[in-house]
Amino acid sequence: MVRLTEMPVVAHGFISELELPRFDNPAWVKPAAPEKRRVAIVSTAAVSRRGERPFSWLARDYRVIGKHDRDLVMTHVAVEYDRTAWQQDLNTIIPLDRLEEMAQAGEIGSVAEEHYTFMGAADPVDMEKSAREVAARMKQDGVDTVFLVPI
Amino acid sequence: MCGLAHYFESAGFATVLVGFVREHIEAIAPPRALWLDFPMGRPLGKPNDPAYQLRVIRAAFELFERPSGPVLEDFPDVIPVNNGRMGYALPPGLVLTIDDIGDVAALLARVEQEMDALRPAYDAAVAARGRTTVGASDMDIDQFAPFIAAFVRGEKPKSPRKGVTPIPMLKLVVEDLAAYYTEARTHRDAIDDIETMGRWFWEETEAGRLLLSLEAVALESDDKVLRAIVDMSLITPRFWSEGPLPGSSGSGW
Repeated sequence: MVRLTEMPVVAHGFISELELPRFDNPAWVKPAAPEKRRVAIVSTAAVSRRGERPFSWLARDYRVIGKHDRDLVMTHVAVEYDRTAWQQDLNTIIPLDRLEEMAQAGEIGSVAEEHYTFMGAADPVDMEKSAREVAARMKQDGVDTVFLVPI
Repeated sequence: MCGLAHYFESAGFATVLVGFVREHIEAIAPPRALWLDFPMGRPLGKPNDPAYQLRVIRAAFELFERPSGPVLEDFPDVIPVNNGRMGYALPPGLVLTIDDIGDVAALLARVEQEMDALRPAYDAAVAARGRTTVGASDMDIDQFAPFIAAFVRGEKPKSPRKGVTPIPMLKLVVEDLAAYYTEARTHRDAIDDIETMGRWFWEETEAGRLLLSLEAVALESDDKVLRAIVDMSLITPRFWSEGPLPGSSGSGW
């Protein structure tokens, strides 16, 4: 299993020295019944629609992906992760087709109209303002369930 | 990612995440998390394998049934990568210096020839998949190599894209170049293997050599931003290497 202690020196040094935020009194929301859930994906893969402004290296902002958007590009700053999987199949990182199939089968209620991407390299504390904006958009869209997927 | 989960849960959403670094999940303690022992870049596990992807999603959504949290459970499968890595890493000894670069025009010509040879495979990949991820830079494919080669010659060409300065543009072009190669080969040869693709592109192709040459130039550069892309490991995949690039911390964030 890949644990921090087993990682090579550069990765171990970088990942172990990251300052991690603390969240006191964390919230806990009772989930909706599975068949009633309206699900949005939040990805930190810095993916956006072709032609949109690229993410900056430590971006705090976000991009919106429509549930039917497939012509997407990635402007993530990091190179330490594999990009060949998403080149072959978007669902490897943003599983819109899988969620749609689950909705069709009644495993979930519905798939949100909008999904959201952030730059995973940025400090999450710096993303709070954007997260609040995304939360407002998701409320507007009737979302009650969020599936967060890293890259 | 774990921090975002807290923000969204506090805004009234039920959240669940999948994640790669278990120690971070333990420390930040998002409400519900499924740990994946997978290579980074593949959070749903396997491309073109809907059944596997659904297994991951269902395992994550199963955590909504837990009455209280924080919940952290492990997905039972392991998708292994070599030696504690979570992605491909260049061999630490594979480093070029400026003296190794030689005739940049000749190197550029070899890259262009190589790209021409891959074009049918790339076009077939785009046709089969109905999409391409090449295009983050918004530059034409035939301009990728000349743009990068200009930096290897020590020039700093203007960015053709409004609002994107030259070095961030260079980085986008580098990623587009790599995507052009790997999209072509993963389709043509039905390869889905991180190590094979990494070794081929970075250690065997002329494009890889062009980018290692760029790294050599960046390492000696007075340009702070160009230098930063080496210190931050933003061009060449050395994050999982057994040692940093000589002359660089390799993690200068």
